[in-house]
Amino acid sequence: QALPTRSSGSSILVSPRQKGNPVLASLKSMPWEYSDIPADYGLGLTTCALFLSLKYHRLHPEYIYTRIRNLQGKYNLRILLTMVDIPNHEDSLRELAKTSLVNNFTVILCWSAAEAARYLELYKSYEHANFAAIKGVQATGYAEKLVEFVTVPRSVNKADAVALVSTFGSLRNAVNADPEQISVIGGWGEKKVKAWCKAVEQPFRVKK
Amino acid sequence: SEDTCPPQPVKLSLPLVYQQKLFEELRKENELVVLARGLGLIRLVTNLLHSYDAAGNNLIVIVNAEDRENAWIGQALAEHAAISMSPKARGLTVVNTDFTSVGTREKMYAGGGIFSITSRILVVDLLTSLLNPETITGIMLLHADRVVATSLEAFILRIYRQKNKVGFLKAFSDNPDPFTTGFSPLATMMRNMFLRKASLWPRFHMHVAQSLEGKKKAEVIELEVPMTDAMKEIQTAIMECVEVSIHELKKGNTGLEMDDWNLDSALLKNFDIIVRRQLDPNWHRVSWKTKQIVNDLTVLRGMLQSVVALDAVSFLQQLDTIHAAHSPQPGSNRQTQSPWLFLDAAQTIFDTAKRRVYSGRQKAGPDTDIDSLRPVLEEQPKWALLADVLEEIDRDLYFEPATRDDSNGTILIMCSDTNTCRQLRDYLQTMHVKPRTEKRVEDFHDPEEDRPSAAFMMRRKLRNYLKWKREFAQVSATLFSENQKALNGAVDPRLGQSKCRAPPNKRRRVRGGGMSGAGSSRLENGSIGQYFEKPGEVADLMAEIQITEEEAKQKEDVIADPLEDMDDYYQMYDMKDLVVIHAYEGDQDEHVLEEVKPKYIVMYEPDAAFIRRVEVYRSSHNDRNVRVYFLYYSGSVEEQRYLSTVRREKDSFTRLIKERASMSVVMTVDAHGIEDPQEAFLRTINTRIAGGGRLAATAQPPRVVVDVREFRSSLPSLLHGRSMIIVPCMLTVGDYILSPNICVERKSVSDLISSFKDGRLFTQAETMFQFYKSPMLLIEFDQNKSFTLEPFADLSGSVASVSAANAGANDLQSKIVLLTLAFPKLRIIWSSSPYETAEIFERLKSQEDEPDPIAAVRAGLDKDMKAEEQAFNTEPQEMLATVPGVTPKNMMNLTLETENIKEVANMKAEELEPFVGKEAARQIHGFFNKDLIEDY
Repeated sequence: QALPTRSSGSSILVSPRQKGNPVLASLKSMPWEYSDIPADYGLGLTTCALFLSLKYHRLHPEYIYTRIRNLQGKYNLRILLTMVDIPNHEDSLRELAKTSLVNNFTVILCWSAAEAARYLELYKSYEHANFAAIKGVQATGYAEKLVEFVTVPRSVNKADAVALVSTFGSLRNAVNADPEQISVIGGWGEKKVKAWCKAVEQPFRVKK
Repeated sequence: SEDTCPPQPVKLSLPLVYQQKLFEELRKENELVVLARGLGLIRLVTNLLHSYDAAGNNLIVIVNAEDRENAWIGQALAEHAAISMSPKARGLTVVNTDFTSVGTREKMYAGGGIFSITSRILVVDLLTSLLNPETITGIMLLHADRVVATSLEAFILRIYRQKNKVGFLKAFSDNPDPFTTGFSPLATMMRNMFLRKASLWPRFHMHVAQSLEGKKKAEVIELEVPMTDAMKEIQTAIMECVEVSIHELKKGNTGLEMDDWNLDSALLKNFDIIVRRQLDPNWHRVSWKTKQIVNDLTVLRGMLQSVVALDAVSFLQQLDTIHAAHSPQPGSNRQTQSPWLFLDAAQTIFDTAKRRVYSGRQKAGPDTDIDSLRPVLEEQPKWALLADVLEEIDRDLYFEPATRDDSNGTILIMCSDTNTCRQLRDYLQTMHVKPRTEKRVEDFHDPEEDRPSAAFMMRRKLRNYLKWKREFAQVSATLFSENQKALNGAVDPRLGQSKCRAPPNKRRRVRGGGMSGAGSSRLENGSIGQYFEKPGEVADLMAEIQITEEEAKQKEDVIADPLEDMDDYYQMYDMKDLVVIHAYEGDQDEHVLEEVKPKYIVMYEPDAAFIRRVEVYRSSHNDRNVRVYFLYYSGSVEEQRYLSTVRREKDSFTRLIKERASMSVVMTVDAHGIEDPQEAFLRTINTRIAGGGRLAATAQPPRVVVDVREFRSSLPSLLHGRSMIIVPCMLTVGDYILSPNICVERKSVSDLISSFKDGRLFTQAETMFQFYKSPMLLIEFDQNKSFTLEPFADLSGSVASVSAANAGANDLQSKIVLLTLAFPKLRIIWSSSPYETAEIFERLKSQEDEPDPIAAVRAGLDKDMKAEEQAFNTEPQEMLATVPGVTPKNMMNLTLETENIKEVANMKAEELEPFVGKEAARQIHGFFNKDLIEDY
């Protein structure tokens, strides 16, 4: 019987079509419920996902196109959650790349049911998340930031970073230090000294 | 026909038979020359270049030269030209940075001459026909061992050979190793270079052996030095740590092949690199812990080297630093720490290293439980031996002073790096200064007292060390204050071991996102705590090593000496008996020998190539006698490494000779049979283009606009291989423009991770949407990396791992999810390799219009900004991006208004404010100016 769909928005909506998909068994961290939706998974008001196994796709190449057509323009973000379960995936992936452009969907690849489930959970859970984490504004401690800064030149490692700033007392002094001063620090061989000095003195912009 | 005889004779500097044979061969043939290291490859190259230079009227391109090779070639060509008095010689022009403008380059190329061009510039100039391949007389390729199918150099040669069938091509290498791994590697690499002939010159080559083993042989005396017991103990303990780390790795990563692993391999092999290579295909999937252990291995290998190279005090100091850097971060637990730090062996390393410098002693008196410290200052065994050798040489010079000889009386000491140079210089300058601390009036005259000793130097080092350690304690406290607080409680870190063992398998659920507040037991988790001496102890030690009267007479402590130019020699005595200390520097050492003309050489550390250089040097001069002393620690890394280098080179050459013998077969065999399919990919296309037939059929070949920075990757080469026209441009938005609508940002998996981290990708996506209808993110896996993002770790998961509260804080998957949520119209292309990408691009472009390069360049540019001003140096930009307060948004402005990192670091907050705003300015200023010594 049809239960009143309260659709509190807290659970993943699953189309009955997905019954038997092992992905459902792996959906553990978020609640989910069956619902009569045109997509396979409803992941929020504007996000949905279709599930596609490449094995199936090879046998029934037209299937996914019908499904996409039936979605009509309903969702803003349409995920094609694609399970790579065949070794010769190249042809299929080439084709999907092209059709994703034509048919407006976003391909996400996964390699196991557990990973697929995790993607679904993440989409649902991040429905209202902000994007700070991918905007480069992460709060980390001073030491970490400092090590990160000093170790940008490839040859310089963490211990070198600690040795450098502990010799000069502050990062600014370390930046201003002469190559000769740095090269007496243990671990700072010629190559590292050169790489470091070049990095702090090289102009941001290439001159003509 | 390519090599017409030079119109006038040129003067060469190739005295040895094998050099002359090689030269003649190279004048005649297009070939790959592999010459054993130390036999003078660059000399050969410069002579050859000079013969062309003197003839004039040519355009010769040197590919793949390093900076110092350019410097050498430039200088050598000038000298040769002067000696030969060749009016047509033009010398070398180096094109190595982007600052030479397009117009200037065009003019320079038109004038002809010899050019050494950075590959990234050269490929662009060839593609844009700024340098027309047909006008090139010939190409000299250095470091041919690095040219793999997808490399930029192979791309360059392909473009060259497509348009120019007559120009010469000569390739050089002094590293046979890479030609011997994989399936018929020599033949494969030669195909990449479009060469058919390989010329191999190992040390055991007949002409080489004859040239070097005649009457003029150098005299070599090997001196095997035992390590001290403490050094051996440390080495053994490090190897144990290595073994356990590798064991841990194997546990976490099945399939890691280290079966033939034994303790000796730790001495023999670059084990960290071997491990890294094995893990590489799955590097993006391995756990954080695995990465950490692999890093540990690198650190441990460094320690194996330091224990023989550094003096006892410097070694201890290095250990202190390593320890601090590896000390637990706030909120860490045993799981997140380097496993080797938990071992008894690690304790042995730290304890023994300390015991070589100072040790505790029971104080006489009632309060006997207070330890006092006393300096030990163990000396490196090679020092005394070095002093002996120098004495022997002195005697030698005294008794037979007048050997008629063209060499100087100079003694040349060679060692591995400038730090060792400095160490030896210090030692030799002060080995006769006696500190005489003990009041030993009653002593007899002890002949041992007159022996050279490092006491003075080591005492000075210890004083500096103690001073450093005091500050270091502060810095370390400031940086790692969290864990420091935990540390202060623990007197003996090992005590914690019994307490800490929390019952395993009993996981507690932690509510909320907070870290479990188990702060008190942090250092008690069994890892080794850093030891900072109590002030009283240090005072005793300081008193013991106070500057004595004798010491005070010496010059001020040398902390940093002005070594502006590392090439300078350290001059110690008068001209007559000069001692020169120099670090090995590859081919440059040839110059050192020629300039110093030493009669005696002390090889303080072994170097196989240098021995050959001495052989070549000796054999090249009739009247220069040379005696070489060769020092090495028995049973150490340096000995093993030396031996294995020699062995490996010999093996490689033997294998190469074998392969070459059967090569004619391999080269003519059906190309589609056994060949690697990827190799075939490029080759089938080649012939198609060369044939030209099919291309002519299509009216307009497909075109892709490619950002010039993308030429570091292999994709442009592969697109070119797919018969697409590559239009290199300086792009502000996107990496590849496939059509007026399609703009692609390419990310390798590691790029993807880092560009999420600093927010670059988010900004790039934003700008792509401003200018293009269909922006795409290409996630490109490496050919030989496994095509999956799935981590090895267990996915089935905790609620916390998907909670929105720490959205995107976790793995790559969660960030991809955030990105697609932020940009629902952004298309993602997954490609298992660059080869696959080329195919996908071809598919995407079909039925689309061709892109307009001019529009592509304009996109994202300010109206009055020229394209060339957009060129960035990536490293300083990357550094700037890590600075707190700098965002992808304000970074553009900051880099426009300031010159470099140094300038930003020295700006006041008020000066920064106009560019980035008040809060960011405060943060940036704070980041650079935080005083780590006072602020705690």
